[in-house]
Amino acid sequence: MDFLTHWLAFTPIFALPLIAAALGLIINERAGLLNLGAEGIMLCGALVGVIAFIEFDNSPALGFIFAILAGTFLGFCFGFFVVVLRTNQVLTGITFVFLGIGLTGLIGVPWVNKAFSALDPIHIPFLTDIPVIGRFLFGQDIVVYVTFGLAILVWRFLYHTRIGLRLRAVGENPQAADAGGINVEGYRLLAATLGGAFIGLAGGYLSLVIAKIFVEEMTQGRGWIAVALVIFSRWRPWRAVLGGLLFGGIEALIPRLKATGYNIPQYFLEMAPYAVTLAVLIYAAVQMRSGQDAPRALGTPYVREDRK
Amino acid sequence: MTAALEFQGVHKSFDGNPALVDAFFLAERGEVHALLGENGAGKSTLMNIACGLYSPDHGAVRVNGESVAIDGPLAANSLGIGMVHQHFKLVENMTVAENIAFCHMSASRRESLNAVRKRIAEASRDIGFEIDPDRRIDTLSVSEQQRTEIIKVMMGGADILILDEPTAVLTDEESTRLLDQLKSFAQQGKSVILITHKLREVFSHADKVTVMRAGATVEAGRDPGELTPVELSRLMVGEAAPSESLELSAGGDVVLELKNISAKRANGTTALDDLTITLRAGQVYGLAGVGGNGQTELAETLMGIRHMESGEFMLSGQVLKRPTPRELRRKGIKTIPAERYIYGLAGDLSVMDNFVVSHLSSGRFGPAGWINRRAILRGTTEAIADYEILGAGLATRSRLLSGGNAQKLVLAREMSGDSTVLLAHSPTRGLDVRACAAVHEYLREACKRDVAILLISEDLDEVLAVSDRVGVINRGRLVGEFDAPVEREAVGQLMVGHA
Amino acid sequence: MQALSLSFLRGRRLTVEVRQKIDFVTRIAIALGAVLFGLGICIAILVSRGVDVSSIYDEFIVFTFLNSAGIATVVVQSTPLVLVGLAAAMAFRVNYWNIGIEGQLFMGVVGCTIIAYFDIGPESLRLPLMFVFSILFGAMWALPAALLKLRLNINEVISTLLLNYIAFYFVLNQVFGPWRDPKDNFPHSPRYDDFERLPKVGWEDVHYGLVVVGLALFFVWWLIERSRFGIQSRFVGINPRMVLAIGLPLSTITLVSALTSGALAGVAGFTIASATEGRLTFTLAAGYGFSGIVIAFLAANRPLMVLVVAFLMGGLYVAGESMKVFYSLPDALVGLFQAAIVLSVTASEFFVRYRLRMAHYERA
Repeated sequence: MDFLTHWLAFTPIFALPLIAAALGLIINERAGLLNLGAEGIMLCGALVGVIAFIEFDNSPALGFIFAILAGTFLGFCFGFFVVVLRTNQVLTGITFVFLGIGLTGLIGVPWVNKAFSALDPIHIPFLTDIPVIGRFLFGQDIVVYVTFGLAILVWRFLYHTRIGLRLRAVGENPQAADAGGINVEGYRLLAATLGGAFIGLAGGYLSLVIAKIFVEEMTQGRGWIAVALVIFSRWRPWRAVLGGLLFGGIEALIPRLKATGYNIPQYFLEMAPYAVTLAVLIYAAVQMRSGQDAPRALGTPYVREDRK
Repeated sequence: MTAALEFQGVHKSFDGNPALVDAFFLAERGEVHALLGENGAGKSTLMNIACGLYSPDHGAVRVNGESVAIDGPLAANSLGIGMVHQHFKLVENMTVAENIAFCHMSASRRESLNAVRKRIAEASRDIGFEIDPDRRIDTLSVSEQQRTEIIKVMMGGADILILDEPTAVLTDEESTRLLDQLKSFAQQGKSVILITHKLREVFSHADKVTVMRAGATVEAGRDPGELTPVELSRLMVGEAAPSESLELSAGGDVVLELKNISAKRANGTTALDDLTITLRAGQVYGLAGVGGNGQTELAETLMGIRHMESGEFMLSGQVLKRPTPRELRRKGIKTIPAERYIYGLAGDLSVMDNFVVSHLSSGRFGPAGWINRRAILRGTTEAIADYEILGAGLATRSRLLSGGNAQKLVLAREMSGDSTVLLAHSPTRGLDVRACAAVHEYLREACKRDVAILLISEDLDEVLAVSDRVGVINRGRLVGEFDAPVEREAVGQLMVGHA
Repeated sequence: MQALSLSFLRGRRLTVEVRQKIDFVTRIAIALGAVLFGLGICIAILVSRGVDVSSIYDEFIVFTFLNSAGIATVVVQSTPLVLVGLAAAMAFRVNYWNIGIEGQLFMGVVGCTIIAYFDIGPESLRLPLMFVFSILFGAMWALPAALLKLRLNINEVISTLLLNYIAFYFVLNQVFGPWRDPKDNFPHSPRYDDFERLPKVGWEDVHYGLVVVGLALFFVWWLIERSRFGIQSRFVGINPRMVLAIGLPLSTITLVSALTSGALAGVAGFTIASATEGRLTFTLAAGYGFSGIVIAFLAANRPLMVLVVAFLMGGLYVAGESMKVFYSLPDALVGLFQAAIVLSVTASEFFVRYRLRMAHYERA
């Protein structure tokens, strides 16, 4: 029972960076941008969050705000490269990852390895103490609840607003969007920037809440898992939340299993998230053989005067 | 009265390739003005300038008498110009209402989706169309999709309506209904510009006609009543060129038969409709027709990159089930594709590579593990000499060859080695007179070697000059077959007439 | 940029247009200019950290290239770089984005370590066996992602990447577990025996890994220039639509490219483990994945250019290492430099591929 309670309680925490990053990537990909730089942007968000937290007298709010700003800025830069300069999205994305690793390594030295405690989970007198699911539902920190709200907002934004509609049109058929007077480049840049904000948030949460420290290369592939998660969630926000919880659950399981004292090979446990992601990708591919759910213009730059 | 839309001295090239040369066009209000021409004549390019998708290199564009610079679709819309494109600008997995809602011109941001839906219902009632705003585009028939485009344009407040080949995808009944509707728009004071290649429509519904050919305007603003179909088709397809002398061949055995084949395009329209073509050894079968009537789909079927929905593919009496390009090539079916640099050559690779690539598996240039470079050099040099490919060193990138020489390279590759069937799809597109003559000569030579040739071309002169037997394709059907010598008028009529 | 109407240019409009032709000289000039710009950024970064310009010159040029010991170190460092560069190039030239080079490298080392650890084969054959096993294991690790791409159309970027992590954790498992060196209890495998090490040639630390590189270059040259596969695969990277129409075996070409890529990465691992490290460690692959990608990109996937670029990259590594020590700069510095150069070059491609054009509207 105790095991279950603890595991469930920690699942949303581990899930959060994946969910937040996935939301950002969904925004990107719905507009037709494949952002493989998420890993690097997340890392920068993690560092900037910690810097702001430490420098502004241990303020978690400012930490998160600056993490988001960092992500927004980098998202915009990525957008500039792939939308305006029309560089190859895959190469640019991968380069941004190493750019992120390099920048954080260079700039982050004074703030590395400084442990702290940033955010406490909330506690609602009766609700949080419900056995098993109490902490899972009512004992999370505030960012978890905010992110859940953000997921709903993203869904509403994409499917219930005019701007979201236009953004999706850009990702499905940029020629149609252009003929309809939509500024394709502008929308894609917007998507890149907005998506970056979410990825920055993911990074900030990783360093401020989960690890409570900044360590070099701390994202450990979560950015890539988020990319896979978006495919698995078929580009829908609510599925990203569920999928994120699944992955978070696996990640949360690792320390739990270690704590039980059973003799489980440690590194095979650590391998699990990546292996499961691969399995999930295979499952998703088998399910959607025709790839119908992907935004049709994902990954290709748009030039109006390109003669067909 | 001032013209609604006017073009004067408009030039446009796509990175060096001219598409419009000193083009002129003038459309007035209250009339249906047909813009007639074959594929590549420049009609769509000109109108794309009007709706803001292209910009001219130079020239004047005037709307209601005033010079304008049309920045983009929004600018065009503010000038009252709306265009229904040949390839619909619709997002397939969104509904009608959503498609109209996302356009800046047809719906403002402040309107809720519900308000847009109501306006759509009103507009469709006014126009006389029936359209359900909540249906997804990919569930609609093609004519319904077109209606969506028209409603979109009307809701955007367009005064100058441009439609690009609207009846290409419609049945007779739907076409007539649409054309009648366009006429009533004109009567309401709008200017309707109808881009078409169908003479029947021009005579039945147009008040004025302008003809374009090879990027220039050959006849502007004539009243169709003053012209005969013969005159109009001559303006469109040009005068008969001096014919090359022809040794005719009755053809040997049947080599390839495509029997009763049907195929559909991605948007659901019929591309090939129960078509049967028979190719005989040593004979050139020329398929004449205006572009877009199924030629591309036929070529793709013959190349193996499209599978037909019904019908039989018979090679030397054997039925081939779903043949792959590899299989077809191995059996001797070669192709000179229409899109030279898409299917024919890799522009950034050398002449040598492009020549040799399809022959590697035959062993002619060495085994898989060690290609015989000397044989390659020799073979390529011979080919360059035989086909008089100028400007080509062995290592020259094929992109740098002129159109004619690039085509000769493709020919050289396809015609060396054993071939039984050769498909030549628009083989002389973009080539000068000398290059054309050279290509024709090589085709006739291949003929003498008993190759069965299918020539698909939109250039009627070419088809008539080279073919032993001529077929006319119209809307995916074979509407006529003639043995040479062929009467030009008869073929021309079938091409632009009504299937 | 689709329609920049600049107000002081009345009646004109700036548009982006696809170029159909570009001459070689212009292309090279733009690329070189971009590389120099990227290097300029690197210098700026160093200067901002308190390194003075003359030291930069000394470190990067004088000590590294104008000095026998320096060049020797560069040669040693370049050896695996050429191999990962070739690995990346073999995949990228057919548009197969093999980002899993690091994982394949690790598995290559696992392969040789198996031979060394279990003392498989007679001593004289040990090295060749290790070499062969590194090829097999590297290729084996590249296989799953290739199959997933061909059968299920799963994006190879993500699948190869995930396999990187799986390989890494596997290695961790081995060095912290069954293969842990009992002598010092550190997380690395026991040292290879002397006959399991690539011997030195006699010039500083340069070793017979050069022979391996030579073999690899010859193999790649043969594959690209002398085999049927070579000519056919060229078309895959340049005009994939033509490939199907012409009937070339696209799947086979992709598979062979992917496996060759993995094999080369494995061999790179072999040279690192056998010559430099002398054992399996979990840090030996660090940075080689991205370096391979950068080298292949800057070399435009051409084998001889890979050799040149890898050598220069080796210089960058070596100089970077001593800068790190001297000026206490972080490890990630070289990666940052590489990113700066790549971004600079890829941004410059805009001017190669597209042209900005002015449209004139006549006022009449």
